[in-house]
Amino acid sequence: MNTNDTLKLGTFEFQSRLLLGTGKFSDTVTMVSAIQASGTQLVTVALRRFNPNSPSDDLFGPLSQLSGISIMPNTSGARDAAEAVRAAMLARELSGSPFIKLEIHPNPDHLMPDPIETYEAARELVKEGFVVLPYMPADPVLARRLEDVGCAAVMPLGSAIGSGRGLKTADLISLIVKESNVPVIVDAGLRSPSEAAAAMELGCSAVLVNSAIAAAEDPVAMAKAFALAVQAGFAARKAGLMAETATASATSPLTSFLSSGAQ
Amino acid sequence: MTTVLPSWLDVGEWPSRSSATGDAATLSAIGSESVGIREFASLISPHADRFLENMAQRAMAMTRRHFGRTISLYVPLYLSNHCQGGCAYCGFASDRSIPRHKLDRAVLLSELKELKGMGFENLLLLTGERTEESGFDYLLECVSLASRHFHNVTVESFAMTAAEYARLVKAGCTGITLYQETYDPTAYSVFHRWGPKREFLFRLEAPERALAAGMRTVGLGVLFGLADPILDCLRLYRHIHHLRKKFWQAGVLVSFPRIRTQQGGFQAPCPVNDTALARLIFAFRLALPETPLVLSTRESPAFRDGIAGIGITRMSVASRTTVGGYSAPPPGDTGQFDVNDQRDVTTFCQALRAKGLEPVFKNWDSVFQPSSDLVPADAG
Repeated sequence: MNTNDTLKLGTFEFQSRLLLGTGKFSDTVTMVSAIQASGTQLVTVALRRFNPNSPSDDLFGPLSQLSGISIMPNTSGARDAAEAVRAAMLARELSGSPFIKLEIHPNPDHLMPDPIETYEAARELVKEGFVVLPYMPADPVLARRLEDVGCAAVMPLGSAIGSGRGLKTADLISLIVKESNVPVIVDAGLRSPSEAAAAMELGCSAVLVNSAIAAAEDPVAMAKAFALAVQAGFAARKAGLMAETATASATSPLTSFLSSGAQ
Repeated sequence: MTTVLPSWLDVGEWPSRSSATGDAATLSAIGSESVGIREFASLISPHADRFLENMAQRAMAMTRRHFGRTISLYVPLYLSNHCQGGCAYCGFASDRSIPRHKLDRAVLLSELKELKGMGFENLLLLTGERTEESGFDYLLECVSLASRHFHNVTVESFAMTAAEYARLVKAGCTGITLYQETYDPTAYSVFHRWGPKREFLFRLEAPERALAAGMRTVGLGVLFGLADPILDCLRLYRHIHHLRKKFWQAGVLVSFPRIRTQQGGFQAPCPVNDTALARLIFAFRLALPETPLVLSTRESPAFRDGIAGIGITRMSVASRTTVGGYSAPPPGDTGQFDVNDQRDVTTFCQALRAKGLEPVFKNWDSVFQPSSDLVPADAG
């Protein structure tokens, strides 16, 4: 678990432990306001939403104007490792960012990440010098394999992208946290700030949120709420949660006779 | 000759159970977290109209969850109105006495330039049934040229062989749209009077051939008005599930065309009114939460503005259904169908924004599927 006060990704450090996705907003102004309200320092944007030829349709342009915000392009849309690597190369050329959020989810219905192609692409992209953050199934073995090939973090899913079903994979994420030497960032599935706090209490280093903010009634207020929840969850983890037991601690233990002089 | 339908299209007793739907079944279907054919049959039933507002609310919530507050935009480009087909409802059918043209390379380039200038990146190329003037090779050349200028190029044309689809993929085509029109073989044979499109099964199996050949997406649909919409929707639902089982990486889109005035005075035998169309769209949204649902400019501005974002996630805009309609509209020419929503891009985008929806022009990148060099880069 990382209990230092900064989030370290490769050689980069961030004060904020909330990462934001940028799709699904009703307009750029709302997106930018939500980013600012969240206090995030790292946002992800899909290469397919880069549109330098048409500024009004381009998500990268307005994000690149924001001071104090790093941009992490993502490969959403790629079906396999080769497509993801090509997308990452182009994204680096267009954005200048060292980060890549590796997303390979070939089934358009549930967008579950392909572990095999993700592993292959991660290996390739690390060799190419990227700071690689792979979106992955909540699989502790895969997490270690991705760490071993040099990923800067692992990003297990809480539940399916956009599903808002929360931390369905909590037990597996706990295992990943326990075994990882790189930051564990829950990516996808969160609906409410309490779930973000819960992920942080489990020992995750950060969470990434998009739909839960963009699809909220008031995205800007929700961005602020997530920021507070992430801070609270992180502080709680640092403070050390009291131990959980399945049984009550009786004030008059049944076994007290054992130490009361009985022979 | 009777067409033997494949077993995966079988809908059993569901059409009659759909018409027998009661309040309890409808409400339970609207609240269901996993809509199967039982729930879908209830949702498409006219009985569900009394709960249309509940359906709309649920459809909006699911649309927002999966697509956010965005609408993807595309534009159709008619390459040719030459056609050997005999579709009774179509303005391009071979018995219509209309001027026939196809875009030559120079006009195609100016059309592409015009559309690019309007901001489009998502282009749908259309032709009629293949003819000598406008056959596969012509289409292939157009795809190859267009994919050098647009990030996403798809095709709505005749049903093809697997080998032809594979060549389109290599040329940069990412998907096809191919409506079965109706899944009722009897009605199908009445309205498709002659030409290769009479082959019901060859068309039915075309999306599979396209996906097997490497297309990323297929757009399916029923042309509402031709036959019983309940039976058609149930079979369309089966078709989608069949494709998903067989091609787990396939993107399936569903469109909702309905017959409007065409040349030749064709009257739809089973008209679908606005309420029914909205109900069917909501039903598909609840049944297929992640599937893009598409609506064209056949529909009125009021209907389009109303249903954008509460089911529909992808829309055409500023469409011309005449050949050469963007850069050099032929005087006195008529299109394949009448465009009901004639608003330009700016006006339509303003309407979307007023609803809190962001129009998205580019939602794909050609880096995912680079076209091979069928056309020299400097040719344009």
